[in-house]
Amino acid sequence: MEIFRRLLKNRISLFGLILLLVFILIALAAPWLAPPKEGSDPYRIPRRGWTLEPTPPSAQYPLGLTQGQYDIYYGIIWGTRTAFRVGMIVIFFRALIGIILGSIAAYYGGILDEILMRFTDIFMSFPYLIGVVVFVSIFGPGLNNVMIPLIALGWMPYARMIRGNILAIKQEEYVLAAKTIGVSDLKIITRHILPNAIFPVLIQASMQIGSIVITVSGLSFLGLGAPEGYADWGQMLSFARNWMLGEQGNVLKYWFTVVYPGLAMVLFVLSWNLIGDAFRDIMDPRLQA
Amino acid sequence: MLSYVVRRLLFLPVVLIGITVLIFALISTLGPWARVATFVPSPDAERHVDLEAMIRKYHLDDPPLKMYARWVNNLLHGNLGWSQSSHMTVMEAIEKRFPATLELTLFAVVPVIIGGILLGVISAVYHNKPVDHATRIVAITLWSMPDFVLGLAVLMVGYGVLGWFPPGRLSAWAELEVLKESFRAFTGMYTIDALLNLRFDIFWDALRHIIAPVITLACLWWAFMLRITRSSMLDVLNQDYVRTARAKGLAEKVVIRKHALGNALIPVTTVAGNMLLGLLGGVMIVETVFNYPGLGLLTSTAATRLDVPCVVGVAVFYAIILVAVNLVVDVLYSVIDPRVRLE
Repeated sequence: MEIFRRLLKNRISLFGLILLLVFILIALAAPWLAPPKEGSDPYRIPRRGWTLEPTPPSAQYPLGLTQGQYDIYYGIIWGTRTAFRVGMIVIFFRALIGIILGSIAAYYGGILDEILMRFTDIFMSFPYLIGVVVFVSIFGPGLNNVMIPLIALGWMPYARMIRGNILAIKQEEYVLAAKTIGVSDLKIITRHILPNAIFPVLIQASMQIGSIVITVSGLSFLGLGAPEGYADWGQMLSFARNWMLGEQGNVLKYWFTVVYPGLAMVLFVLSWNLIGDAFRDIMDPRLQA
Repeated sequence: MLSYVVRRLLFLPVVLIGITVLIFALISTLGPWARVATFVPSPDAERHVDLEAMIRKYHLDDPPLKMYARWVNNLLHGNLGWSQSSHMTVMEAIEKRFPATLELTLFAVVPVIIGGILLGVISAVYHNKPVDHATRIVAITLWSMPDFVLGLAVLMVGYGVLGWFPPGRLSAWAELEVLKESFRAFTGMYTIDALLNLRFDIFWDALRHIIAPVITLACLWWAFMLRITRSSMLDVLNQDYVRTARAKGLAEKVVIRKHALGNALIPVTTVAGNMLLGLLGGVMIVETVFNYPGLGLLTSTAATRLDVPCVVGVAVFYAIILVAVNLVVDVLYSVIDPRVRLE
């Protein structure tokens, strides 16, 4: 709670928290802000026509229609849900794998630790984005096929961190006491060790949500992630690529295809980074002075 | 020192084997027919041949271990298969595209390192002063910019509005000049080759094309560099020996330049190495936005067309570079900072 109070006191992180709150509200209120058609998949952006050329903002469609007449306003609102979902799923599984492998390595030590850590090193030296692209080119594009390799190639820092934390508290008396009275290993790890080692890892992990959303959207932008018409900011920006140079004499004619989805992305990521930045300063005892 | 380097060298093959096994395991999930493509050296060999014969010819029904050995053997002989999306062997495609990406990366690294370190130090020295807050906010905003959003913005302004920085790598006329016999290709990097050939018109053209992607890449990584330098400098400035130096009555300038800066830059070396790799990998999106024909564009095009041999070839190529650069950075690190060797 002390941390939370300090986050609220700092003007920069307060701004980040407010931004994030706005996005959470948008995600929660999506069915009311942009009601989907009865019986259709809400994550499919509705088309308001069939011509290719984007339509500028009007009273009826406040943010305009992008290529193929996909509604930009609808896409941004439901895209917020996609962003949260993608970010949270990836982070959850990364942290889970990292915590399991890290605690096993640290708790049992010895040869098992050595093997698991070399295993981590190998995964660490894999070119991250290229790995995702290899996976997608083999299993085909799609949001799930982007998230799987992002999880598989992203758990290593958490494993290392949790291992370091556990090594530091493994020799504490309460752990030794639990061992001597015969508590099972699983129970010692989950009841006594993890509660004291997990917190910084969880914070670090959740602060990564912004950068994960950037990566996934980037892949959608390349056409490797979300399919056409899916409510995903990166996918909407890939439409914009064909139109951003406007036409002769009016280069900024289709500005709304880039600016609105781009703004949504930047603000979303910014909110996470502002909070994360303040967190780092709070957690770093060397900067307390 | 020597034992440290030897230990690192011994781990090198382990990493390479690990990475190739991972990639191979992914390829193995493909059906035999799709896998044939990663072995065939040219499209003619692939056509007119029936599946059974191909599978027999390339022993695709062997046990996995044997198949893996054959695949690695192929890699070692530079046979990475045929790329359907670029109509040449994967090896040729990489040879042709790599200089373009290297050129882009080298151009981007210079402003990132100089600007990032300079502003990082200033930001730390004036900790919590207006300068610090201002650079921090700018850096965080840039760092939150997805590369393709920033790239699209740069392209819209730089080309759409101002007309200064066209996409692509060369104009059509320069493209023809470069292919002529009289133009000697020394490095494959057009700006450098043009200078060596004393063709300043081509140099200017190549420069105009490369500036926009360089700005995009540099902005993103500049912010990262600044952050690392700032926190490392802050750390050093709080150390006892810096306080001692100040207590001796040394001028603040001397304390910062002679005493603090050297130590603050140690972690920056690792980051610089990582950045070089990140730049090489991150070019995929930037090259696609600017239609700049380097390795990144090659990879993303290949991936959207499900050209597995090409993507796998580039992945192996990157992995080797990655491991090599990591090794160099680690060894350099142990030279600069003796404490590392004692671990």
